[in-house]
Amino acid sequence: MPPKSKAATKPKATETTTTTNPTTITSQTASQPSEPTTVLERSQQRYEKTRPFEAARRQQGLSKLSKEDQKGWICDQLLHLTNRLPAASRSRLLGPKASKEIWWTINGTNSIVRGLKHKPEPHITWGTDRNGHDVGSYTIERFDERFRKRIALTALQVSSRVFRENVEREKRGFVDARSGREIIVTEREIDEEKVRRSKMAALKKELYGEITGKLAGSVEWEDVVPIPHEEPEGALAAIAYPAEYAEAMSYLRAVMTTKEYSPRCLRLTEHIISMNPAHYTVWLYRAANIFALGLSIPDEIEWLNEVALANLKNYQIWHHRHLLVEHYYPTISSDPDALAQFAKQERDFLIAILSEDTKNYHVWSYRSWLVGKLGMWEDEEELKSIEQLIDEDVRNNSAWSHRFFIVFSNPKYATPGKGATEKDERVPQELVDREVKYAQNKVYLAPQNQSPWNYMRGVLVKGRQHLASVQGFVEEFVVKLGEGEEEEDVKSTHALDLLAEIYAEKWDSDKADLCLRRLAEKWDRIRGGYWEWRRKCLTQTEKEKAVAVGEAEKGGEEVAAA
Amino acid sequence: MTQNFTSLPQELQLATSAHVKYIQSLDSRKDEYDYWLTEHLRLNGLYWGLTALHLLGHPEALPRAETIDFVLSCQHENGGFGAAPGHDAHMLSTVSAVQILAMVDAFDDLETRGRGKAQVGKYIASLQNPQTGTFAGDEWGEEDTRFLYGAFNALSLLGLLHLVDVDKAVAHIAACANFDGGYGVSPGAESHSGQIFTCVAALAIAGRKELIDVDRLGRWLSERQIAGGGLNGRPEKKEDVCYSWWVLSSLEMIGKTHWIDKEKLTNFILSSQDTEKGGISDRPGDMVDVWHTCFGIAGLSLLDCPGLEPVDEVYCMPKSTIKRVLGH
Repeated sequence: MPPKSKAATKPKATETTTTTNPTTITSQTASQPSEPTTVLERSQQRYEKTRPFEAARRQQGLSKLSKEDQKGWICDQLLHLTNRLPAASRSRLLGPKASKEIWWTINGTNSIVRGLKHKPEPHITWGTDRNGHDVGSYTIERFDERFRKRIALTALQVSSRVFRENVEREKRGFVDARSGREIIVTEREIDEEKVRRSKMAALKKELYGEITGKLAGSVEWEDVVPIPHEEPEGALAAIAYPAEYAEAMSYLRAVMTTKEYSPRCLRLTEHIISMNPAHYTVWLYRAANIFALGLSIPDEIEWLNEVALANLKNYQIWHHRHLLVEHYYPTISSDPDALAQFAKQERDFLIAILSEDTKNYHVWSYRSWLVGKLGMWEDEEELKSIEQLIDEDVRNNSAWSHRFFIVFSNPKYATPGKGATEKDERVPQELVDREVKYAQNKVYLAPQNQSPWNYMRGVLVKGRQHLASVQGFVEEFVVKLGEGEEEEDVKSTHALDLLAEIYAEKWDSDKADLCLRRLAEKWDRIRGGYWEWRRKCLTQTEKEKAVAVGEAEKGGEEVAAA
Repeated sequence: MTQNFTSLPQELQLATSAHVKYIQSLDSRKDEYDYWLTEHLRLNGLYWGLTALHLLGHPEALPRAETIDFVLSCQHENGGFGAAPGHDAHMLSTVSAVQILAMVDAFDDLETRGRGKAQVGKYIASLQNPQTGTFAGDEWGEEDTRFLYGAFNALSLLGLLHLVDVDKAVAHIAACANFDGGYGVSPGAESHSGQIFTCVAALAIAGRKELIDVDRLGRWLSERQIAGGGLNGRPEKKEDVCYSWWVLSSLEMIGKTHWIDKEKLTNFILSSQDTEKGGISDRPGDMVDVWHTCFGIAGLSLLDCPGLEPVDEVYCMPKSTIKRVLGH
């Protein structure tokens, strides 16, 4: 407390506004500030008002002030500098005479003792808003509004903290002191908190530009501490993530570490899959959840169908399906009706997805596995479906390959364990004939299409039939071979290739060589190296034939001699 | 047949420095969406990039120490490697890890700072299915001949092939042989160039190439070349640069590369380059990526394109690395 001044200050104080020399500048006649437009201006004006001598000094320079004003400024400065000292210490520091002098001057000039200490600065005093603008540049109304929002946010945060504490208390089985009952967090309270959280997230975003992650702000994930991605120092292949994916992954890591299997984890896997369906770990974890929770496999398959249609090139989806079916199969294997129904559902979907991507390798390899697993060999619908695909596109090699599989690996008449390339005595002749005919009919539709030619040849090998048995058919596609450029017409290089093989089979090397020569020279030049090699093989065969004939003749002579 | 490369137009020459720069830039594209979407391929991507750099004659373009650090940071207790730090161990990333360490000659680091070769071998061996002989990708059991090949590749480089039942695996491959001469992903599945490569290379490593019907397979492979000169993966499908590797290396392994038109194939691969920004795409005009860059360059190396180091057709790694590791 300043010592009471002996001089009665009142009259001097009240008429202080124009003290002493009218020509000196006092705080009053210092340039009158206009109405402030921004909060910064307002604060600066306030600051100036509490430091009148300072304002004057700044405008004019200390030397230009009147003696009175100079003294006033010095006292002002001394006072502010020692503001925080107790009065007694100040007296001791400045000396009793100086202290008295100071107070006498202060009272005489009506200076304000407690001036604002810091001058308001742009960008510093209130900081910047979410768009990087200085809050000090706000108008007074806007600033007030911002202030109201901050209060609102704080109030929400207080209520939220109460909620969180109650959740914690409930978990620990605390008892409410007043009612004596266990603390329960009701549905209504949870709903209120959800509303509160979304309001808080909105306010934070508006005021500070902070984005609250969907999971971090959700009540459901309250108890999980996410594990953020850790990059080793100076990682060679360092990764920067978009925020939502990063957040989801950090929660996934957390629950995978604790091996949690629950509905919320299932939802989390779906969320991540929607952002990155190729991430195979999340699929495996999803499967683990499905199995641990004992969820309906058919329901999951229905969900999976949608994802598969939207991600045709993804193969984790098909391995996931494989796992699901492996898990589901034991529950229906003893019920033929259930098995048939499931097979039909699967086939219906496979047909649907193959119509989008007819040669998808993952779908086809899944399909061939499924046939084996569910024993669909005799299923007429399966064969019909393949035939339809070939009707739609005779060039679909996947369909041809699948047909070979279901026909010649059928355990009903195929020898189990026999490879696709091995002849099989068990396979009935009618079947071999039927398949050869089928392939031939399809060759007519597109003679240069490779698939039915490969197929037919494979069937002949399987059925241990000579290639020559189809010579008539093959010759339909090769017209006037070797009879000149004008006359010669080859409708299929595969026919010519097979014809060469047939002639070789019958030891007719000249005709075989002609076929191969014409392939290399004209009809399939790009594979010239191969056709030349085949021609060389013929010479080998010729030699072998000569040796074989020679041996036979020698044997005959010996017999004759004997 | 000789090919006069210097007489080719600018766009049909090998843009070596552009490719090197492209590969170097890959780990700095952190702001690209695709970059983090493919985190589960990170270690594989490193193998593709590094192989391409070695074949281009610039092995130093990726820093060796950081490469080794990154690879080792992906290793788990069980010896297996994940695709990136924090990712579960998987056969494919384990194989890539072994291949990378072989190329940068860091097996010692694996012993001293990693879990050691024996542990890696143990992990791979644990993935073999004792009944069928084939291999799974991880403990979840997806089976694919790619994993079989991967296992043989990595184990032979580590000198640990004896840890697995080679004969049973070989029998499984034989069961995957198809009526058209090719091989599929599993018995009965359609013949596919990629799967053919894995089956043939696995047989090569096991020393059992006599099981291959060379004539039929060679013919099927030669039919992959279409009019444009590129190779496709299956009948009636589009040509793609990565098949230039799968098909060509398979032909090399059975000694029948002269069954396709090499000059046309070379032209096709070179036309698929981005000579300005580097990298190779699946066919001319499409976006480049490191996968096609690796296999395009490996294919060109097999075609004796000048300016490239020779590639080993079985391991898809520089011949010099294989010589150093295996001694032949």
